[in-house]
Amino acid sequence: MPPPLLELRAGSRTYPGARALREVDFDLRPGEVHALLGENGAGKSTLIRLLTGMERSDAGGSLLVDGAVVAEPTPRLMNAMGIAAVYQNPTLFDELSVMENLCIGEGGPLVSWRKRRAEARSRLARVGVELDLDRPVRHLRMAEKQAIEIARALGQRARALILDEPTASLAQNEAGRLLDLVESLRAAGTGILYISHRLEEVMRIADRFTVLRDGVRVGTHARGSVDRAGLLRMMAGRDLAELFPKEKVPIGEVALETRGLGCESGGVSGVSLTVRRGEILGIGGLVGSGRTELARILFGLTPADSGEIRIGGKPVAIRSVGDAMARGLAYVPEDRKAHGVIAELPVWENVTLAALRRLCGNWPDEPREEALAAGLAAELGVRAPSLHAATSTLSGGNQQKVALARWIATGPSVLILDEPTQGIDVGAKAEIHRLMGALARRGLAIILISSELAELLALADRIAVMRRGRLAGILPAAEAGREELLRLALGEERS
Amino acid sequence: MTEAPAVRPGSAARWFPNAEWILLLLLGAEGAAFGVFGDHFLTAANGFEVVRLAAEVGLLAFGLTPVIKAGGIDLSVGSMMGLAAVVLGGAWSSLGLPLWLAAAFALAVGAAGGAFHGLLITRLRVPPLIATLGTYSLYRGIAEAVTGGYGSTSGFPAWFLDLGQGYLGGVVPVQLPIVAAVFIALWVMLHRATIGREITAIGFSPEGARFAGIRTARATVRVYATCGTCAALAGILYVSRIGQAKADAGLGYELTAIAAVVLGGTSITGGRGTLQGTLLGLLCLVVLQDGLRLSGQPGEIAGLCAGLVLLLAIMLNQSWSRARRASQVEGLRNPDPKSPGKFKMKNSQIAVLVAAILAGALLIAGSNWWLVRSLGRAPAGPVPPARRITVAMTPKTVTDPYFVTCREGAAEAARELGVDLLWDGPEYADPAIQNEIVDGWITKGVDVVAASLVNPKAISSVLRKAQEHGISVVTWDSDAETDARAFFVNQATAAGIGSTLSDEGARLAGGRGQYAIITATLTDTNQNEWIRAIEERMAAAHPAMELATIHPCDGQRDKAMTEARNIIRAYPGVRVLIAICSPAVPGAAEALKQEDNRRVMLTGLSTPNLCRSYVHDGWVGSIVLWNTRDLGYLTVYAAAAVRDGRLKRGDSAFAAGRLGTLRVEGDQILLGKPFVFNRANIDDFRF
Amino acid sequence: MRAARRELALVAAIAVVGLLPLFGVPGFYRAGNLRNLAIDNLPVLVAGIGMTVVIISAEIDISIGSLFAVCGALSGLAAKAGWPMPLVALATLAAGAVIGAANGLLVARARVPAIIATLATMAILRNAIIRATGGAWIQDLPAGFQWFGLPQAVAQPVYLGAAAALFLAAAWALRHTAAGRSFYAVGCDHEAARRIGLAPGRVVLAAFTIMGALAGAAALLNFTRYPTIETNAGVGLELQVIAAVVVGGAAVTGGRGTLLGTLLGVILLGMIGTVFTFLHVNPAWGKAIQGAIILAAVVSDTAFGKRERDD
Repeated sequence: MPPPLLELRAGSRTYPGARALREVDFDLRPGEVHALLGENGAGKSTLIRLLTGMERSDAGGSLLVDGAVVAEPTPRLMNAMGIAAVYQNPTLFDELSVMENLCIGEGGPLVSWRKRRAEARSRLARVGVELDLDRPVRHLRMAEKQAIEIARALGQRARALILDEPTASLAQNEAGRLLDLVESLRAAGTGILYISHRLEEVMRIADRFTVLRDGVRVGTHARGSVDRAGLLRMMAGRDLAELFPKEKVPIGEVALETRGLGCESGGVSGVSLTVRRGEILGIGGLVGSGRTELARILFGLTPADSGEIRIGGKPVAIRSVGDAMARGLAYVPEDRKAHGVIAELPVWENVTLAALRRLCGNWPDEPREEALAAGLAAELGVRAPSLHAATSTLSGGNQQKVALARWIATGPSVLILDEPTQGIDVGAKAEIHRLMGALARRGLAIILISSELAELLALADRIAVMRRGRLAGILPAAEAGREELLRLALGEERS
Repeated sequence: MTEAPAVRPGSAARWFPNAEWILLLLLGAEGAAFGVFGDHFLTAANGFEVVRLAAEVGLLAFGLTPVIKAGGIDLSVGSMMGLAAVVLGGAWSSLGLPLWLAAAFALAVGAAGGAFHGLLITRLRVPPLIATLGTYSLYRGIAEAVTGGYGSTSGFPAWFLDLGQGYLGGVVPVQLPIVAAVFIALWVMLHRATIGREITAIGFSPEGARFAGIRTARATVRVYATCGTCAALAGILYVSRIGQAKADAGLGYELTAIAAVVLGGTSITGGRGTLQGTLLGLLCLVVLQDGLRLSGQPGEIAGLCAGLVLLLAIMLNQSWSRARRASQVEGLRNPDPKSPGKFKMKNSQIAVLVAAILAGALLIAGSNWWLVRSLGRAPAGPVPPARRITVAMTPKTVTDPYFVTCREGAAEAARELGVDLLWDGPEYADPAIQNEIVDGWITKGVDVVAASLVNPKAISSVLRKAQEHGISVVTWDSDAETDARAFFVNQATAAGIGSTLSDEGARLAGGRGQYAIITATLTDTNQNEWIRAIEERMAAAHPAMELATIHPCDGQRDKAMTEARNIIRAYPGVRVLIAICSPAVPGAAEALKQEDNRRVMLTGLSTPNLCRSYVHDGWVGSIVLWNTRDLGYLTVYAAAAVRDGRLKRGDSAFAAGRLGTLRVEGDQILLGKPFVFNRANIDDFRF
Repeated sequence: MRAARRELALVAAIAVVGLLPLFGVPGFYRAGNLRNLAIDNLPVLVAGIGMTVVIISAEIDISIGSLFAVCGALSGLAAKAGWPMPLVALATLAAGAVIGAANGLLVARARVPAIIATLATMAILRNAIIRATGGAWIQDLPAGFQWFGLPQAVAQPVYLGAAAALFLAAAWALRHTAAGRSFYAVGCDHEAARRIGLAPGRVVLAAFTIMGALAGAAALLNFTRYPTIETNAGVGLELQVIAAVVVGGAAVTGGRGTLLGTLLGVILLGMIGTVFTFLHVNPAWGKAIQGAIILAAVVSDTAFGKRERDD
């Protein structure tokens, strides 16, 4: 049997005060999709950093390519040997053009823009995306940015491709296209290391599964020899329900209603929907269909220029975040790190930040705030070394809970959640779903924006689907099926 | 059981979250070092003088702290001081408003100027560095344009001057309660009010703050408006301290203020920072400056040390933050509820810090010793008096070659007489710094102060104070108010200088045509006096000559060359250039030479050495001056004589070493009349 | 290359300001005047090249005025010591590069934020030179110092040509070499740069070293116009240069900027003083006008409707 494409033997990595990885063996063969699973903090990112040469294993570990030891791995070297990685949050060069981003760092000391342009065009074609090559990447959507990263990796003739949560910000159809691409790459002999929290994806395409837990490799299994429950058990070390079953909650009067709501610059028009107390309204649709834009209009981040919003039956003007908050709206945004919390602030300050003015006016009352934060942290099950620790020291799931706590503290009547479980490990995901149910029971009206159909189907009472800035349809969850929702999102006619 | 214990950080961490206690150590080290090497450093009087020194820069720094903490910056605070000063003076004298109302108006201008920044930054998305870089020029420019540069207001009532110059109960400077009140108000705003939390949030993440419902635009505008108001208040205090409202108030203060804020632990990227840290940073810098002065060190050493201190403190802070972050990660892995945020400073870091401070102290001590030696204690010379007297001499600026030659003469006289000579002055003509220098000397306890004043009205009160402390005062080159000094060593009167320049200019131009003047800055008092004298003389004796324009060169030869060239081309009627600051003459001469222009003539005030070759080649018709070396020489002789009582009012003659006997007229010792250097005689002079 | 909005606006502004002398005293457009204007601004342009590289890398350097003065002083001392002029030039450039590298080490290795590090070195260098020279000019330079010993009529076009060549070479390198593009990459995002195999620390160090060397070059172009060296020169140079670079369209946040923009910025800001002299405008208005132009330039993008949607 030919040696594996990429192999790590007894890889270890210790950071000051922590051992992120302990003697992990891992190998990737050509022409296979090898899934890497594990909760957040299990060591996946560290493993990737070792495999790509960003960091070196501690003594005793070694990295091999095609069976030969790489003595001094560096990103440049690993790249040259055909190992490429595409990360969850594509870090492209914002100010530089699409073309430059596609080909950056390659070639010799001289740059030929003509050659680069041709190369860029062909790479984009391979991933099936069309973009203006001269546009700064700053203005692109997440899915487009990811496409660029993958195109770049492919263009560098990667033999081993590491994909870290590639579908996290993609909608269903784009994710499907990506998985097709992965399969075609596998057929062509590329080895793919695939990391995702979306178990049904993983189970669909992976040939092997490796599970990490607390920096240790728990096991590696071939497809067919393990089932979903087994994987979950290995990841969590305990039995765990992946998605919390939806409880029956009494649904009350209309809390929020929109009539013909639209915003020209946001590309949203004519959206009319209602949300009732105790109800969870799911909003699905492709990325770019205007879901987040709608949330921003509701929350006052972008002012509407047509239609109206009614709260409690009366039309209201929402032209700023302050207006929205005053009307009882709350919004947990999609980008947790940049918008959901302020990472450098201590946990308790993040929790009380939005409610501060309403709670204390011009003069904060620290003991009162801390009590409030402590109560909410306990209620939501936030795990942190201390309420005074910087929020950046918490795991992704716990940070999301802090973001949630912040808005619960404002006592809203309508809560908008934008991709609340994106990039969060399974355990925390379940907890957040449970919380959503509890909040609905308390009488909040919840709007849940999600790209994960399974999540929408499990949690929402009704599902609205947006397409190109308009509402394509609203269905009760019981009647909706995957295909129906997809069709609405894509605008296909019934056959 | 909660999984997120609410263990609060200790009180040291809360008061000094950025390890500002390092600054306390630094202050302690400074205090120890200067207590030994400085004269009268550890006295209450000096303590209060430090407060006075720190007042204006402190107001700027306190106002800047919220701005920088919010992730912004304001480079224009010094310029706003100038604008506020001009508004105050103009509103009071030209518009006739009562003084308190004029001051309120000036504060309003400060707030408006700051709000303008807020507008540029929030509405028009201009980065703060650029916005305030623009207003750095714009605000100062408006002040200069409105006053024509030279316009100034003085004659303020006594109660107003007391704000900047007076003492409460004879001991506490009036600035102290004012600045303390502002500090407390800002501290409460930043650390106890909701807006302070908002500022912190905005500083860490402006977008994150917006998503949390914080009204970032409003907070930003308020923060910049507050900063502008503090700058305006600093300008008002400056006017009160100097006694004059001019456009050049606060020149160069912004960088010291920013240094104080940054030294105090505020992160330049925003989010971190405390007002008490800024106070400590400010004190470290000001005490450093004061202590060095009292140790007899000139201003350049203070500037050098300040730069080194800033670097050292920041580097230490960085390594401390990194250690703290690492220990936080450790805390995450091994949560210890008893010590959640405890920072363990490694022994090696303490050793480095102590070593650095000791090295700094030794450096200062060493250079002091070296400086004392270099002043030339002549072992064999005339029998020195039982105790050597100290003559403290301050020129208008240390960077003008004119004064460099004065210093040579002064040093020569000091050696002959066996006196100690101190020499210190501003790097550019800033009356406020001269004020501070003399204040420092008063505390140090020198015997005589000999000053060439940037701004007579501004310094006179300090000189009077020196006299009250038993220090003899003489002036040279540029006079003060007559009751502020014993004698004035006059090289020539302003009228005399103006006359000679005019006569030379007219002579070179052939008696008719236009003339243009190149001056140093539009705000320089001395030069403006000479300009007036020139204009008067021209009108009286050479009516066919007409003034075309006056251009400043900022005391820089490069600029003088450019201005001279432009004037020649843009004003074709100009027959002669009169350049009245010493770098300007060679600059203008070079312009004529490179243009090969023999039609326009050039004269001015400069030293023979700077102009010799140009005079020989005919590019400079003549230069008007006096022997600057002799001027310095005579000043030191006069200073020593006044101290000894050998020179007193009523004397009609005075013997000064190799200069022989000179005439004394009332309270002026005349070196002579302005001397015209030209091709015939310039080689006889080597200075 | 797509002509960016800012460059076009600058060309328009230069055209407008350039037409103003038509209303003033004639003589502005004469070759001699324009040539002098160009030579006067060569130091700002050359320093501007270095500052553009630094700002593209998302850093800043406010010490170049002091560095300029120090390099000038060193060149004079070297000439007085009898070194041949080519060696003097090399030594000056080397000195600038070394001091620039010191700045770079402070920023890249010691992690001192650039504005603070260069604020400190600005104070240290300026005060050191005042201390060392006592404020005196460096005089009695050998005859070969001024204009490198060339006759003035030859030297001036040579200086213009040298600066132009340097400018074109730098513009080419920034656009067409991987090393040049690496400044842009590092200016955008250090982590992303690391992922593609760049070492951000080394790139930043290179940026400051280049800045230092170019400050030395600027000093050479400036001080060799005279037979003596004024040691107090360069005060305020840094703000002048930064203003020109920023007006030219470079973003202080990094990753964006062109040398063409810097050139236009230098031209616009450099011509104002002379134009207004020909219009017989009171020089007391100089600073106010300059500040207004800086603000107008940076505000023009937003004010005139460039609204790209930020997602």
